[in-house]
Amino acid sequence: MSIHAEPIATFEYELVDGRVGTCAHVFADSELITAIAHDHSLQQLANVTSLPGLYGCAFGMPDMHEGYGFPVGGVAATALPDGVISPGGIGFDINCGVRLLATDIDRASFAPYRERVVHDISRTIPSGYGHGGRLTLERDVLARVLEGGCRALLDELDAGLPEDLDVIESGGTLAGADPTAVSERAYARGSDQLGTLGGGNHFVEVGLVDTVFDEASAARLGLYAGTITVLIHTGSRGLGHQVCTDFLALMDEAQARFGIALPDRQLACAPLSSPEGRRYLAAMRAAANFAFANRQLIAHRVRAVFRRHLGVEHTLRLVYDVGHNTAKIERHGKRELCVHRKGATRAFGPSSTEIPVRYRGVGQPVFIPGSMGTASYVLVGTDEAAARSFASVCHGAGRVLSRGAAKRQVMGNELRRTLESRGITIRCPSNQELAEEAPEAYKDIDRVVDVVVGAGLARKVARLVPLGVVKG
Amino acid sequence: MPGTPTAAGPVVASHAFEQHTGEVKVRLEANQLSELFAEAARALCELLGSPTADAPSEWQRVTVIARDRDALLVAWLNELVARTEIDHLLYREVAITDLTEQRLDATIRGVPFRETRTAVKAATFHGLQIAVEPSGASATVVLDV
Repeated sequence: MSIHAEPIATFEYELVDGRVGTCAHVFADSELITAIAHDHSLQQLANVTSLPGLYGCAFGMPDMHEGYGFPVGGVAATALPDGVISPGGIGFDINCGVRLLATDIDRASFAPYRERVVHDISRTIPSGYGHGGRLTLERDVLARVLEGGCRALLDELDAGLPEDLDVIESGGTLAGADPTAVSERAYARGSDQLGTLGGGNHFVEVGLVDTVFDEASAARLGLYAGTITVLIHTGSRGLGHQVCTDFLALMDEAQARFGIALPDRQLACAPLSSPEGRRYLAAMRAAANFAFANRQLIAHRVRAVFRRHLGVEHTLRLVYDVGHNTAKIERHGKRELCVHRKGATRAFGPSSTEIPVRYRGVGQPVFIPGSMGTASYVLVGTDEAAARSFASVCHGAGRVLSRGAAKRQVMGNELRRTLESRGITIRCPSNQELAEEAPEAYKDIDRVVDVVVGAGLARKVARLVPLGVVKG
Repeated sequence: MPGTPTAAGPVVASHAFEQHTGEVKVRLEANQLSELFAEAARALCELLGSPTADAPSEWQRVTVIARDRDALLVAWLNELVARTEIDHLLYREVAITDLTEQRLDATIRGVPFRETRTAVKAATFHGLQIAVEPSGASATVVLDV
């Protein structure tokens, strides 16, 4: 039987592939599910249900598209103690995520500085494949960052503000990280990459709060209509990539010993109770801490850029920082679960004690960037999402075109001119790379967010529009 | 060296990039398996960036060991991804000196690159297929980008 999706509720579909006892649901509307069914992501989500110890259903988010192993936009939980952890359920870019900073600067005040601020950010934040930063860390300092994340970065480099830690997922440090579980090659790749964007769809975006949907919630987040924001999207760089590479090979070797047979080798996994599973979890947490610290250092440098051009009185306040490529041990109901989110964002509700005190009663902030030149959304999680999706929502608009197809359909130089004619300053090393991230290559962000809200997974707080984009 | 005639006849190898929504899928073809692995390195370089006209590095010996042939191709590409990032060199010149199901020995040398194109994070097992026929070898591999 070929795999297909059948509607079971408003904005929710169930995968049907002829197997009994497996469960996979996708949050989508009729248009999005048609786009999702266009590639192999439904099959990839079905494959996820083969993971030993899977608890409940695997979930696909409305931005889901074909990845490797897990689909991008896939969520799956395994039950402790013997459920598995799969590096392919997290991805190579461990704890890739998004951080939002808010200002009290209005659009008119910022307008004279826009070009030079965006240009200065592009000069200050190294980007592109393999490009190291202006900082090379000694091995012992790097080890402390891997163990301590943002707290260590504050202690070691005075990068950031102490109050930032309150509004970073897990305080910017995943406990249980073990720097000795990270290979020497990963250290070598990461030693000069702290504070760098990398390539692909990573970016720093200077934006504007264009619409506020919920003034009370927006005010709790420090967001006001017409003010300037900065959105940072990047991850754990080569260090994280190498951690995933190392442990995928290790787990692939161990599948037979564990008696695990999977439809895709990229799903290779190990029981969380095994030495391999525990060591990967500790290494993955170390890479996640590197990613938190990376976004922290970039934000620190962006703050310096704003100070240089606009003066010291304009502080960039951190709204929140949240990852979308992680596995975290969380309690859902009475069970302790390992929740894999591959291209999906944790979204705890207002009653969660895991979110910052200042956001209790509102919900955990969630950021859903659109494609370059379109809108991004600020949402907050709902309590309802815990039962519906292990408190998870999407992480972006989701690709519909391959990079090659985007380059064939979109002329990068024309796109650059179009965006600049709309008042968006673009800094991207090449027109071809720009074309890869064109709006046409992605699903409609408004539609994706409407599904998230309609399904009850999160609430809209504000909509941001770009004024300047530095592309990785 | 790339393009060097062998006992099996003149080397013929090619690569092409196929459709994949989120990542990059590479199709490789060669008239022998060792040349397929060398072609994989050249495809990776084409994705990663543009070489400068600078003098190449010294030749370096590389050994990769893996569980089977599929894992060997993944491990070989990941070896090159890591070396490229650490050394800031594009390893376009590759000579496979010995190849078994579980071990690859090669010499490689690289050149600095000026412009990056696609940021490759790693090679994956997803959809990986290697076929070896009397007429030649082919493979499809998905790279996370």
